[in-house]
Amino acid sequence: MLRLIAWRVAGLLIVLLLLTLAVFAIQAKLPADPVAVTLGAGATPQLVAQKRHELGYDKPIWIQYGRFLRKLVRGDLGTSLRTHSSVTGDIAHFAPPTIELALASAVWVFVLALGLGIWSALRRHGASTARVVMLASASAPPFFLAILLILLFYSHLHWLPSSGQSSSLEPVGHVTGFLIIDAIIASNGHVLWDAVLHLILPSIVVAVGPAVSIARVMRGSLIDVMQLDHIRTARAKGLTELRVLFKHALRNSLTPVLAMSGLQVGLLLTGVIIVETVFAWPGLGLYTARALQFDDFPAVIGVTLVFGCVYVIVNAVVDILQMVADPRLRAVR
Amino acid sequence: MTTEAKHMSTHGASEIVAHVEDLTVDFPTPQGTVHALRGVSLEIRSGEIIAIVGESGSGKTVFGLSLLGLLPLTSRPTVRGRVLVAGVDMLSAGPAAQRAARRISLGAVFQDPLTSLNPTMRIGQQVKERGITADRALANLHEAGVPEPSRRFGQFPHELSGGLRQRAMIAMAVGAAGTRGANRREAAAGAVTGANGGPRLIVADEPTTALDVSVQAQVVLLFDRIRREHGCSVVFVTHDLGVAASIADRIAVFYAGRIREIGQAADLLLHPHHPYTRDLLASRLSIEDIYADSIAGDPPDARAEPTGCAYAPRCRNAQSDCVLNHPPLHPRQPGRQSGAVACFHTVIEEEQKLRSLPPPSTTTVALPQNGEPVLELQHVSKTFATREGRFGLRKQELHAVDDVTFAVPAAGSVALVGESGCGKTTTLRIATGLLRPDHGDVRWAADAGRPQLVFQDAGSSLTPWMKIGPQIVERLRSRGVSRTDRPEKVAEALSLVGLDPRVADARPRDLSGGQRQRAAIARALASDPRVLICDEPVSALDASLVIRVLELLESLQERLGVALLVVTHDLAVARRIADEVVVMYRGRIVEHGHTDQVFGNPAHPYTQGLLAAIPTTEPGRLAPVLEGEPPALTGKLQGCPFASRCRYVRDRCLVEAPPLYAESLDRASACHFYKEVIAQGKSDALSIEAAAQTPGTEAGRH
Repeated sequence: MLRLIAWRVAGLLIVLLLLTLAVFAIQAKLPADPVAVTLGAGATPQLVAQKRHELGYDKPIWIQYGRFLRKLVRGDLGTSLRTHSSVTGDIAHFAPPTIELALASAVWVFVLALGLGIWSALRRHGASTARVVMLASASAPPFFLAILLILLFYSHLHWLPSSGQSSSLEPVGHVTGFLIIDAIIASNGHVLWDAVLHLILPSIVVAVGPAVSIARVMRGSLIDVMQLDHIRTARAKGLTELRVLFKHALRNSLTPVLAMSGLQVGLLLTGVIIVETVFAWPGLGLYTARALQFDDFPAVIGVTLVFGCVYVIVNAVVDILQMVADPRLRAVR
Repeated sequence: MTTEAKHMSTHGASEIVAHVEDLTVDFPTPQGTVHALRGVSLEIRSGEIIAIVGESGSGKTVFGLSLLGLLPLTSRPTVRGRVLVAGVDMLSAGPAAQRAARRISLGAVFQDPLTSLNPTMRIGQQVKERGITADRALANLHEAGVPEPSRRFGQFPHELSGGLRQRAMIAMAVGAAGTRGANRREAAAGAVTGANGGPRLIVADEPTTALDVSVQAQVVLLFDRIRREHGCSVVFVTHDLGVAASIADRIAVFYAGRIREIGQAADLLLHPHHPYTRDLLASRLSIEDIYADSIAGDPPDARAEPTGCAYAPRCRNAQSDCVLNHPPLHPRQPGRQSGAVACFHTVIEEEQKLRSLPPPSTTTVALPQNGEPVLELQHVSKTFATREGRFGLRKQELHAVDDVTFAVPAAGSVALVGESGCGKTTTLRIATGLLRPDHGDVRWAADAGRPQLVFQDAGSSLTPWMKIGPQIVERLRSRGVSRTDRPEKVAEALSLVGLDPRVADARPRDLSGGQRQRAAIARALASDPRVLICDEPVSALDASLVIRVLELLESLQERLGVALLVVTHDLAVARRIADEVVVMYRGRIVEHGHTDQVFGNPAHPYTQGLLAAIPTTEPGRLAPVLEGEPPALTGKLQGCPFASRCRYVRDRCLVEAPPLYAESLDRASACHFYKEVIAQGKSDALSIEAAAQTPGTEAGRH
């Protein structure tokens, strides 16, 4: 199995390299000239040309790629045209809230997908209204769903806040950048509770689409597995239905579920941009949205790379997890 | 108790482990209600092995599942009657009580150990899951004959061979929790353990059907040993009377959801009373009796509700009263232990004689061949590369086929026999041209098209969404048959196999299993082949259909002059259909010759062992077996590949690989000591005959 893992990691590195190539190629082909944008509208052509030469944009393309890679390895993603600080620094600053959001969403996805998947697998005939609701909420565009939920839980019920990461004005030291953890470290109960409340709506909106897709895959897979002979053997041993379900059926139905989960991460990442905008959540999504509006190329490139890497790595991890879950996948031919 | 039940019950001191009373199971389907069981009553004594024998649709599997309380809920069955197992009513008791009974008093062994074991859980875990300690699990594995149990404990099912997997399942079945594992609630629910803490009843549903012959014999003996050591009862569901004969104390014959006859094994086999029992015995293809008669008519429709006996349409003894009323079970003979039969006109007592073989038909081709062979393999070898080991680093070579040479004469028939892993399937693929051999030649006769392949489950090799006609036409197109000629050719092909030409408009799902098999053969014939290659053509069929398909293949050989190459693990099929037989072991040919000679007087120890492992309907004769399993194919071997299992083995065998010695002009054996093997075989046969004639050895072990 280790051999397979090694192969997978090698493949991962190659894909990452190709990713940088793709991103670079896109950047090189952009219609707008980044230099002109940097200098502003009033720049003379000579100034533009001079700046181009300075920044090295007139060198052959492969040398530019080489420079790009070297900078990448050093962690230098350039300077944001909007914030005028390093893109890497920006990303490091805005990443924690997004990670918080992603983790919270992951929890929702896990709970919803597992619950929905198992429940709908066990109740095969029926549950159609529930399925319609599920389908509707998953098909609705995230911003639509977000606004609906804000209307319901904020305007109407006043249960949850409408935007931002925190309504509290109390300062909590910026230790990790994760508000919830920082609040725990500072033992500030108010801020903690406030942060949690703010987290609920955005994470649900992000989670619904993936959760439903994964639940559907889990349902199909679980139904198939429950028909298999070895479930009958497990029952014949006198095991409780619960144990049969969890120990025997679920583990064997994980393979397609894991695959789907890996794919859903991509959707999750794109969804984050819109959801953060609607909820004014100060994370990478918001940063990206603003960068796009501003034509802030370095920032957009930087975020694209980061998201791309996350996606590729997550899928590689999923492949490895599949091998762990199903020993039959470990046999090499 | 009803009068019927009274006859089923066994009086006397022995305890009753399970009591089934008037069990009726119906399944609703879109095409109507399927009556799987129609009022079955039975008692199972402590420590007995009772075989439930029947063909597909007889209800035997449903009966086994009912004993376990495992009827599939998704099929929403309607169940009536009582099933008492070790004090628990498996039908009406609550789920907790049923589960307790299954955990403590019952064990189950199913047909296919690959799918019946959880593929993602280690063997040891699965055996332990019953609620026993790891030590006890190890002991069970050892008891079931699993070599190196501690190593196997941590392995996954796909890492074990078929026979080992089945042994693991048996170990799992034997590992009932015992009183130590039972808590008070379960004990109060009435669950009881057997002696030594094992189960009181093991239900085995076709446990040996998916296994090789030599392994099958071992597993059958294993059940017997477990019964003796644990004192548990075994319900052995099977379609094969031979397997039932080797192990059962009592046999119950099921047909169309009812018991037709039940009695002591020896008695029932030698003196069957019910015409179905008699016909079933007569239709059983065996080495000694290859001219069995197929049972007339079609298998019963499970949805039908006949007023009279369901077997009447096919029964030679049937008379008018058979159709009007259903015959009740009454004693076979006066005397309480004689069992029961449900028939108005039973078979008059007669000795079950072995029919003497009719003289061979004149079209049997005697070697040497007449004319050029239509298919020839010369020194064919094929090796596959695999990777083994935890890190996938160790490369292994799999010698699937090693220096195989044989020829199929025009209009002749050759059988390739061997067990799993012997290389016959790979050889078959090479012969059809699907695989290229690494060494050697494959030659087809000059004018012959490609040999056509008939698969094991021919029915599912048909495209399910196409009609039969177009599927046959596909083959015609490549032979350049014009459009106008096609319908005629299709009708011709169908009538050759005995199907109505209107079948051309049907889809595979509209046909029965036997019809689908024939349709697949018709499709193979459409391209006018010189050779038909059949891969296990009858192993998936019921006994009554087997004969008919074999008769069809023979008639095709006679009428069309098409040659047959049949790959099979069933020696009786080989004997019936082939003139020549090639026995393979671990990729090599170990014996080759005329069928009658090879089977009558084998010249290789493996052939001898195989023949001895085949169950016969002689009651009580537990076959002397080949030890061990068919070997793994990886790695180069020194010496004879069979040496580790051979009873004639000498030093020379371990060092020098035997070539094919030509024993006579048309007979060869790959054994250094083949002469001794032949001589020993002859003297064994004489001593068996002598023992059979001595009085007092009849009726087996009782």
